[in-house]
This record gives sequence, C-alpha cells and structure tokens, in this order.
Amino acid sequence: MDIFLQQIVNGLTIGSLYALVALGYTMVYGVMKLINFAHGDLVALSAFAGLTIYTSIFSNGGTSIVAVITVFLFTAMIIAVVGVLLERFAYKPLRTAPRLSAVVSALGAGLVIQNAIMLIWGPNMKIFPSDLFPSTVYDINGVVITFTQFMILGLSSILMIALYLFINKTKMGTAVRAVAINQDAAQLMGINVNKIIMIIFIIGSALGAVAGLFIGIYYRGITFDMGWMYGLNAFVAAIIGGIGNIPGAMFGGLVLGLFNALISGYISSAWAETFTFTLLIVVLIFRPTGILGETVAEKV
Amino acid sequence: MMSRTNIIALIFLIIMGLYPLFADSAWLAIGTTFLVFSVVAFSQDIILGRAGAFHMGHAAFFGMGAYTTAILNVNFGWTILATWAPAVLIPVIVSFIVISPIIHLRGDYLLVATIGINIIFLQILENDLFGLTGGPNGIFGIDVLKVFGYEFFEQTHMYYMSFILLGITLFIMKNLDSSKFGRAMFYVNKDDVAAQSMGINIRYYKMYAFAIGAGIAGAAGSMFAVQYSAVSPEAFDVLQSIMFFTIVLVGGSASLPGVIIGTFVMFVLPEIFREFETARYLIFGLAMIIMMILRPRGIWPVKFGNIPSFLKKGKK
Repeated sequence: MDIFLQQIVNGLTIGSLYALVALGYTMVYGVMKLINFAHGDLVALSAFAGLTIYTSIFSNGGTSIVAVITVFLFTAMIIAVVGVLLERFAYKPLRTAPRLSAVVSALGAGLVIQNAIMLIWGPNMKIFPSDLFPSTVYDINGVVITFTQFMILGLSSILMIALYLFINKTKMGTAVRAVAINQDAAQLMGINVNKIIMIIFIIGSALGAVAGLFIGIYYRGITFDMGWMYGLNAFVAAIIGGIGNIPGAMFGGLVLGLFNALISGYISSAWAETFTFTLLIVVLIFRPTGILGETVAEKV
Repeated sequence: MMSRTNIIALIFLIIMGLYPLFADSAWLAIGTTFLVFSVVAFSQDIILGRAGAFHMGHAAFFGMGAYTTAILNVNFGWTILATWAPAVLIPVIVSFIVISPIIHLRGDYLLVATIGINIIFLQILENDLFGLTGGPNGIFGIDVLKVFGYEFFEQTHMYYMSFILLGITLFIMKNLDSSKFGRAMFYVNKDDVAAQSMGINIRYYKMYAFAIGAGIAGAAGSMFAVQYSAVSPEAFDVLQSIMFFTIVLVGGSASLPGVIIGTFVMFVLPEIFREFETARYLIFGLAMIIMMILRPRGIWPVKFGNIPSFLKKGKK
C-alpha cells in the first residue's frame, strides 16, 4: 500500500510537469491548429537557461527565496521572448499555407533550438545544482514527499488555477476563446488576432519554462535532446485530455503521470513508452477527440 | 511525343544509371541509400501525399521489412531471395492490424497515433521481445543475395538492385496515378466528404494506401538490411519517420520529381555538408523553416492532378 501511495505522489509530480507543458501545446493547437513540435525543445532550453542564470548570479550558492524567484522570473521571461520570436519567424508566415507546411516548419524550429542548446552548452549532460530548494523531506505515514515535489505540486496547481481563471473570467481570456473558435469572426469583432496569438505563445512558453526548471531541479541531469521526449509525453497528455481544451490538458497530464508512475512501479520502466502510447491509442479508439475533447466533427 | 516531365525523368534515370561509374565506394554507398530512401519516401507519399493520411511512423514499416529479412536470414537460415516475399507481406499484414482500428482518426490525432506505433515498434526491438531482434545492438552478419550460385556482393550490385527497386516503385506510382484507386485517393485527399458522398469508401482506400505503402517500405527495408548486412533499432526510430515525412512535404507531396528532390535535399545534402559537423543540423533546421516559408507546397509541387484541362478553367 505504501508503494502504491508513493507512486501516486511521484505520478502526480510528473503529471503536473506534463500538464504544464501540455498547456503550451493545447493552447497553441486550440488557436492555430498547429502541433508546436518546438515546444518540448523550449522546455529543454529553459532548464539550461535557468542553470546559467542561477550559477552566474548566485554563484555563492545557498538557498534564498530571492534567488528562486529571480531564476524563475528571468527564465520564464527569456523563454517567453523566444516563444514569441518562434511564432513571429517560423509560424506567422505560414498561417495561410497548408497545415502540414507549418508542421515541417515547427520540426525545423525544434531542430534549431535543440542544436543551439548543444552548441552553447555542449553535448554532455549538465547537472542542475541541488541547493536551489532545501532538501527537506516530509514523511507522512511512510510516504515520502520532498520539498521539491511539494513545490512542483503547489506552484503548478496555482499556475493552472490562475490560467483557468484568466481564460474563463477575464476579457482577454474571452478574446482568446473567441479566436480559438473562429479567427475571422473574432477579427471582425475588433479582436487583435496577432496580439492574442502572441499572448498564447507568451503564456504557453512561460508555463513550459516553469516546467523545464522543475525538470532540472527534480531530475538534476539535463541534456540538450531531452525536450523531445518530455514534449512528446506532454503532447500525448494533451491529446488524451482532448487537445485544444485547457482543463483537458491538466487532466491528461495528471492521468498520464499517474499511469507512467504505476507502470514503472509495478511492471517495468523499459516498456514505459509502449504503455503510454497504447493508452493513447486505446483512448483515441473509443474517444477520437480525447476524453474531454468536443465531439463535433471538424468543418469541411 | 514526350512531355517535359518525361524527358527530365529519363535524364534522371540515365544519370542515376551511370552514377556508379564515377563514384567512389563511400559515395556509392550514399547513392545506394539515396535510392532506398527514395523508395521509402514514395511509399510514404502514397499514404501522406495521395491518401492524405498524416502518417509519421513510416520507419516502423521500413524497419519491419529490414528485420524480417535479417531474422529469417540470420536466425532461420533462409536465403535473401526467399525473405523478400515475407519482408513485403509482414509489413502489409501488420499495417492492416495496427492501422485499421485508428484509420478513422482525424489528421493530427492519426499523426500522433502513428508516432506511437513507431515508438512501440522500437521498444519491441530494443527490449528484444521473443528473443529474436538482438536488442539494442541489432542483428549482424546478414548474407548477400545469391541467385543460382551467383553472389551479388559488390557495392555496384547493391546499387543496381536498389535502382531496379526504384524503377519498379516508379512504375507502380505511375500506374497508381492513372488507376481508379489513384483517382479515388486524389479525391479523398482533396475533399473527403465530397468523395464519400460520391460513394468512395474512404476507410477502404486509406487502408489500401497504408497497405501498399507498408509493402513498398518493407521491400526497401529488406534492401537496406542487405546493403549494410546489419540492422539496428536506431535506424528505424521516430526521427527517421520524421525524415520521411519531411522529405515528402519539402519536395512536394504527390509529386514524383518532388519526392526525389526531397530525398536529395533531406538526405544527400547533409552528407555533402558533413564538414560543418556541429552546426550542420542547426543550419538544416533553419533551411527547413525557410524552405517552407518560400515554398509552402514543396520545391516541386504537383500540378492539378489528373483532371482534364478543360475542367480546370478559373481554378488554380
């Protein structure tokens, strides 16, 4: 039973990271109908950028709340800028092109970011400093939860609730939803579609940046090509939940995280991806647009 | 009378036919792989370009052909010639089993599901299910082709065998275009709802496209395994699938010259620029973005299908 609860805790931690990354995919997909294949590499870039910022500003080490907030804010800002530039140069010129052209452009952009990381930080694995968060461990009836896990769960819940409120309760959020439903009609109602798309990329990239930093802090070892696998898992999470649907991405992330943790805990981690994608295919066979996805057919 | 396209095709075939006379052995190997990859790219194009199914797991079918030849030859002692039929048939059967439950998925959902199929295939290879695939190292020591006691072991032999395979594939592609099947697929690709209301069974034709594509990819895989006399999982991973997917879109989907050019750009050019080693893929990624912005329909896009010219008035 303890193992089960332990795996639930671990699964929720990984699941929240997937959910944060999945939100970036799902928001871009909801508005632009584009799989942003470069998003996973932005997450990897964030881990490396955060590492450099932390070591160059706070080289004396030691945990302070100021250091943590600075690293998170700076990294999120940098990644948001990169995300906006990505949209501006790689996707915007292709908005009217066939959909698959933008997919190829996204794959190219992912390749550029991944190799830029390799050229800047080198091809070897980098180790994230362990002193960013205190190494406190809480033991609740035999279930171990670290301070880092606690922070991941807490901060990602706060961010997700904030995003949910932003999308559903504010005027800007309403505009985002309007653009997702019909860009032309939204434009005719006076919504600046370019601005909305920019906001989507800022929010999506910033959430991805937070996830990237947490991946660095939680797993410690970061490699230039890790974005692909995290991105793919998060994308699967977004699809399981129903892509384009924001609560769906959060739900999908948590489901996939728990599923992964239980598979690794009880069966074998060598088959993790096989189980992930079998789950995806089974979900898609019964719910072709994901669990929380809308059931209407795509317009012709 | 020959059309311009036919003349270009003839020139291409002559150049490729004479290529081994000028190339050294390293470039001959690249040339052979180029031919094999073109064949795979054509089979990807049947599924992606013609049937319009977003398929990003084609390396799995390519790998199935390669592994079928390798396993039957090394573990069971079949001759290479005898493995050709199963190397084509097994991918066809597997494509039927794994694709038919997901064939109804819309665009991007199908894309991710096919990536999943490729990843599952790769994990089966790496984890050595059934103890046949040799795990992460793959299988070594695949035989050369022997027919009536004559051994085709030289590089040039491999090259011309791939060349013949490409010729057969081009012949199939040409015939597909003008068959009922080819026209139906073209219609499905342009407007599937209209096609359906004209009585075209989309599910059937998409499955058919997958089956043909998987079969041709399997044949190419068999050739690939014999050329390198070894197979290993990383040659058939998702990145390879992405390459085949990108080849078709960069070249121009449903366009015969486009797919050849796409293969050249995506496979041969990076080989030429090997000196730039580290920055190579950075530039490559940039080139992909720029190419798509400048030519969103591919380098050599297809002209408007097989519709007679008098029907095309006012249409692009």
